[in-house]
Amino acid sequence: MNDWIAIGALALVGLLIPLGMMAVSYLLRPSVPETSKRATYESGEVPTGGTRIRFNIQYYMVALLFLVFDIETVLLFPWAVVYLDAVESDAVSLFEILAPMVAFVVILLIGLAWAWRNGAVEWAQTTRQVDAEGNRS
Amino acid sequence: MEGVFDFAPAIAVFPLVAFVIALAFGKHLPKKGAIPGILATGGSLLLSALMLVAVSSGEVYHETLYEWAAGDATSATGVEGIAFTFGILIDPLAALMLVIVSLVAFLVHVFSLGYMNAEGETGLPRYYAGLGLFTFSMLAFVYADNLLMAFMFFELVGLCSFLLIGFWFRTKSAPSAAKKAFLVTRFGDYFFLIGVVAIAATFGTLQFAGDESFVAAAQTAIDDGGTLFGFDAQTWVTITGLLVLGGVLGKSAQFPLHTWLPDAMEGPTTVSALIHAATMVAAGVYLVARMFGYYALSPTTLAIIAFVGGFTALFAATMGVVKDDIKQVLAYSTISQYGYMMLGLGVGGYVAGVFHLMNHAFFKALLFLGAGSVIVLMHHEQDMWKMGGLKDKAPVTYYTFLAGALALAGIIPFSGFWSKDEILYDAFIVGLEEPVIMAAYAMGLAAVFFTGFYTFRMVFLTFHGEPRSEAAEDPHPVGWSIKAPLIVLGVLAVVAGAANLAPVYKLTGLELTFLESWLDGEYGAIEGLTYGAYGELLAYETGVVGTEQLTVMIAAGLSLLLAFSGAGVAWKLYNVPEPVVYRDRLGRVGDVIEANYYQDEYQVWLAEGVTLPLARAADRFDQTAIDGAVDGVSTASLFGSDRLKRIQTGIVTNYAALLVTGFIVLLLVLGYAGGWFL
Amino acid sequence: MAVVELPEWAALAPVLILAGTALALFVFDSINPRSTNRTVLAGTAAIGSLVALGVAVWFTVAGVGASGLEGFGAIELFDGQLVVDQMALYFMIIVAVVTALVSVASYDYMEGHTYQAEYYSLVMLAATGMATMAAANSLVTILIALELASLPSYALVAILKDNRGSIEAGLKYFLIGALSSAIFVYGISLVYGATGYLQLDAIATQLETGAADGEFAYGGLLGLGILMLIGGFAFKTASVPFHFWAPEAYEGAPAPIAAFLSSASKAAGFVIAFRVFTTAFPLDATSALIGVDWTLAFVILAIVTMTVGNFAAATQQNVKRMLAYSSIGHAGYALIGLAGLGAGSELVMGAAMMHLLVYGFMNTGAFLFVALAEHWGVGRTFEDYNGLGQRAPVACFALVIFMFSLAGIPPLGGFWSKYFLFTGAIEAGLLVVAAALIVNSALSLYYYSRLVKAVWFEEPPAARDSLGQPTGLYAAIVFAAVMTVVLLPGFGPVVETALDAAAAMIA
Repeated sequence: MNDWIAIGALALVGLLIPLGMMAVSYLLRPSVPETSKRATYESGEVPTGGTRIRFNIQYYMVALLFLVFDIETVLLFPWAVVYLDAVESDAVSLFEILAPMVAFVVILLIGLAWAWRNGAVEWAQTTRQVDAEGNRS
Repeated sequence: MEGVFDFAPAIAVFPLVAFVIALAFGKHLPKKGAIPGILATGGSLLLSALMLVAVSSGEVYHETLYEWAAGDATSATGVEGIAFTFGILIDPLAALMLVIVSLVAFLVHVFSLGYMNAEGETGLPRYYAGLGLFTFSMLAFVYADNLLMAFMFFELVGLCSFLLIGFWFRTKSAPSAAKKAFLVTRFGDYFFLIGVVAIAATFGTLQFAGDESFVAAAQTAIDDGGTLFGFDAQTWVTITGLLVLGGVLGKSAQFPLHTWLPDAMEGPTTVSALIHAATMVAAGVYLVARMFGYYALSPTTLAIIAFVGGFTALFAATMGVVKDDIKQVLAYSTISQYGYMMLGLGVGGYVAGVFHLMNHAFFKALLFLGAGSVIVLMHHEQDMWKMGGLKDKAPVTYYTFLAGALALAGIIPFSGFWSKDEILYDAFIVGLEEPVIMAAYAMGLAAVFFTGFYTFRMVFLTFHGEPRSEAAEDPHPVGWSIKAPLIVLGVLAVVAGAANLAPVYKLTGLELTFLESWLDGEYGAIEGLTYGAYGELLAYETGVVGTEQLTVMIAAGLSLLLAFSGAGVAWKLYNVPEPVVYRDRLGRVGDVIEANYYQDEYQVWLAEGVTLPLARAADRFDQTAIDGAVDGVSTASLFGSDRLKRIQTGIVTNYAALLVTGFIVLLLVLGYAGGWFL
Repeated sequence: MAVVELPEWAALAPVLILAGTALALFVFDSINPRSTNRTVLAGTAAIGSLVALGVAVWFTVAGVGASGLEGFGAIELFDGQLVVDQMALYFMIIVAVVTALVSVASYDYMEGHTYQAEYYSLVMLAATGMATMAAANSLVTILIALELASLPSYALVAILKDNRGSIEAGLKYFLIGALSSAIFVYGISLVYGATGYLQLDAIATQLETGAADGEFAYGGLLGLGILMLIGGFAFKTASVPFHFWAPEAYEGAPAPIAAFLSSASKAAGFVIAFRVFTTAFPLDATSALIGVDWTLAFVILAIVTMTVGNFAAATQQNVKRMLAYSSIGHAGYALIGLAGLGAGSELVMGAAMMHLLVYGFMNTGAFLFVALAEHWGVGRTFEDYNGLGQRAPVACFALVIFMFSLAGIPPLGGFWSKYFLFTGAIEAGLLVVAAALIVNSALSLYYYSRLVKAVWFEEPPAARDSLGQPTGLYAAIVFAAVMTVVLLPGFGPVVETALDAAAAMIA
């Protein structure tokens, strides 16, 4: 008995169940065609415009920054938990426990400073605002 | 004489320096490079003479000076490693040859002052540079201590002859003659090169002398009776010997590679003197003498050498009979005389061959320089029918030329008689036992008659009778630089024979065989490179007619008789005030001889009729089959390239699909091979 | 022995210097966000990479990572997550050299570009990633280093924001890269699942134990994992079938970035491949477990890659694209280093390492010539290059050197490394691979000499403005040309170092 047969059987069953359910409902259901059923959101809002609209880049910027600091927290938390024990123990020096995290935070801070200075956290300007700024200068 | 050999390299280096000076500064020097050339060859002559004295006091010199490549290939006879070196070997033979070469070169340089400078030639620096390089190459060739070095300088000699024969490169004939000389000798040299490689591969050494020499190795191999490259040792030695002989036949203008030499007369006469007497042509015969021990191991090769030599002697002599150009006559006489030397060496007459080489160097240089003098006298006219009556107007030229002619014809007691007679005697006694040699001897003997005839035909037409042109009536005067070399050589042509009066010894018992003792190492020699040592290797048996004295008498008498009768016929026909052309009476034979036996024609036919179609066929094969295959490959590659390029559609989803497909294919292949799915 | 005893982490100095340079550039840009002071920025990047190069060379000469009396032995850091040995330093040298060349050349190429500081700091970050790849000794550090090298690369390819080709190339590169990374991570997880370790030596120990007592049950899983790892390396080294991004990314990217990616990034991809396969998957034990010799995969990949690369390059009209395909072909040559490991000879892997070093110069040089041509604005196809030799003989002579070295013409560096690869392949018994190497080299001569012919022998188009001589590009090109010529024939130590490093890995 080969393991792969079991895997193949699982894959087969995984395919068969949804297909089977769709087939059963197709056989059982009554057919009442109606235009509102063909809307994108049935019994909801009528969508306007296309799906391919451009989101402002600022959304991504903020999301990215959030992600970065989120990860920082994930790293800082366990470090903070073991920090006191590590300081007390003789196995590692203060430098060894402190320096990597300081370096990490410094790198992040540089990144944040750069992002800030380059306008990543400035709120997006509308076209009108840009024009106004252009007139002022 | 301790330490004198330290100067040996200088012998060759002097002319090389002269070459550089003439080439670089020749234009600004007073005599356009002649002075450095004369000084250099004079220095070489002096040093060579010193070497001769040193050797006669019982010393020899054999030194490796520079190793330029070494490998660790194992030869067929099991010698580990091979080294390619430059070295110097000075034994009696080399010392003698050094003196001859440097002497002739020196005299040619001096003569050139009168022949080239005085005649207002242009391009003289190039001329003297060529002479210097030529002398350098030949001297280095002479004392080369191994076959490869000899080959390299042999080639260099060929190159120099090319440069000098084509000296007047603005004419149509000279460049063509130069090319012919180069190509024909190169043809022989191919075989020589293969021979060198074969010998190196077989014996792991290329040394001429010593226990490490290929000669000694060949002897050991033959004694051991093993096989080399699938042949039995003796046969293999014969094969390699014949391959080397290819180079000899080319350089020494032996049948069938003699055709370049008459054409080479297009060069300045001084160059002809140098080529014929001491350098290029002599190089071939000298090489046979140098590695005589190797040839002595193979009777077949020796017999071939003897037969080719005898045949060439006769063959060339007959062609010399009908020539009208004084230099042409001399050219054919050169071929003929070198035939004698080959005959002598081929029958084991090592001393006789070398003796004739020496004598010939002197009298042929004399004759050519004499001819050069005549050409100057005649305002550059070379046709003998336009000469005549120069006897009284240029006595020095006449008498020295006559001495040379007598030596060439082999009239007793001039030098040529002694050496030629010795060759013929050696051939005769071997011929009594070996029919092939007898045939060679017969041809050599017959050649004596023709030699006597054409020689004196030339002398009488040139110097005797009435002047047959305005130039002959009022010859251009010649200076001391022309006369002095003639006189030196004239004296040598008369007396050089005294070096080895073998018949006198055999008849009277007087020990007058100085050269034989010299070459036999009585004064000092390298072991194995002596006449005696060669004699032990030879497989020839000799016979006598009656007693030894009687045999000597018969041989000498026959050749003298023929020489005199040849000269006599010439006397009868041409020593008249108004000689007439007798060519027509020869009829068809005359036509054949006039056309040099159609040798050129058949060689041209070989080139055009055989080689050219073969080359064309090869070319066609190359154009169609090979180029076709190559083109096909490239077409296929480009086509494949075009298809392959299209995989890159530019659509990234396709890439992803292809990437995953490729990965899955790899997975399937490896998974199948590794059995992961089972 | 060193005069000063440095702490162990100092062995990572080349990497730290590169990272520090990147941060310094960010700090600079934070202070002056609008600055386009090219001299300071390019200078900082070049100096940083040159210092890293100097330190790496110094470490190599001093014997860091070398075994034996003179050496300090391989230095393991962070419990073996990183290791600094001869091979790590060797590849750090390659990365640092290429980075320096690219920084110098970019000085002219990026003239007038808005995002100067970002450009250089991204280059330095990518270089940091590549140098870390050289030292990574655990699958997880390998992944992090690889991503650190890749992410800035995506951005760099797309940095010409006004150029459609650049943006498109960046996106394609990113998408294929994401797919490949996914496969790679999946491979890591499978290997981890099969062995329970991520650290390379520990994996090897586990596999050897498993092979010895025969209780290893996940042969197929391990095999699949290894194959997926190969996929990840193939992406980074632009080997078939993960090469599709390369022609477009190289073509669209700024030429110095194309040089950077095709030389340094490729070398970094090879170093992790070398390290993973020599350290983590000992050939005998692994073969016993997965039932197939993993060199087989590399034999196939090597042949297919060099064939695809060279054949596709043969009829290209665009010079940069031709170089991109030739870069794929060269990846195939370098793969021989892994394909030939079966014979247990360090020669073949050492040869591959040498090839990558020479390649770092000749390929960078070739792409920089393209950068020069783009700087001149002469066009992109072979025809556009016609007759450049008359106007810019020095650069075009350097181009001839690069082309002939890439083709493997003696006595240039490319000949020697290819020659070593060839003898190595023969020694390893891979006659088919050796034959493919010869055939492909012959074919490559065709398209390389096409470029030489265009530059030197074709008539230039009638109207062409005079061509400038940008200092930075010229300096980088000439330096690369000189190194291509003298590197292998002139520097015995390079050959020795490569062979030593390879021997240390295999032993």
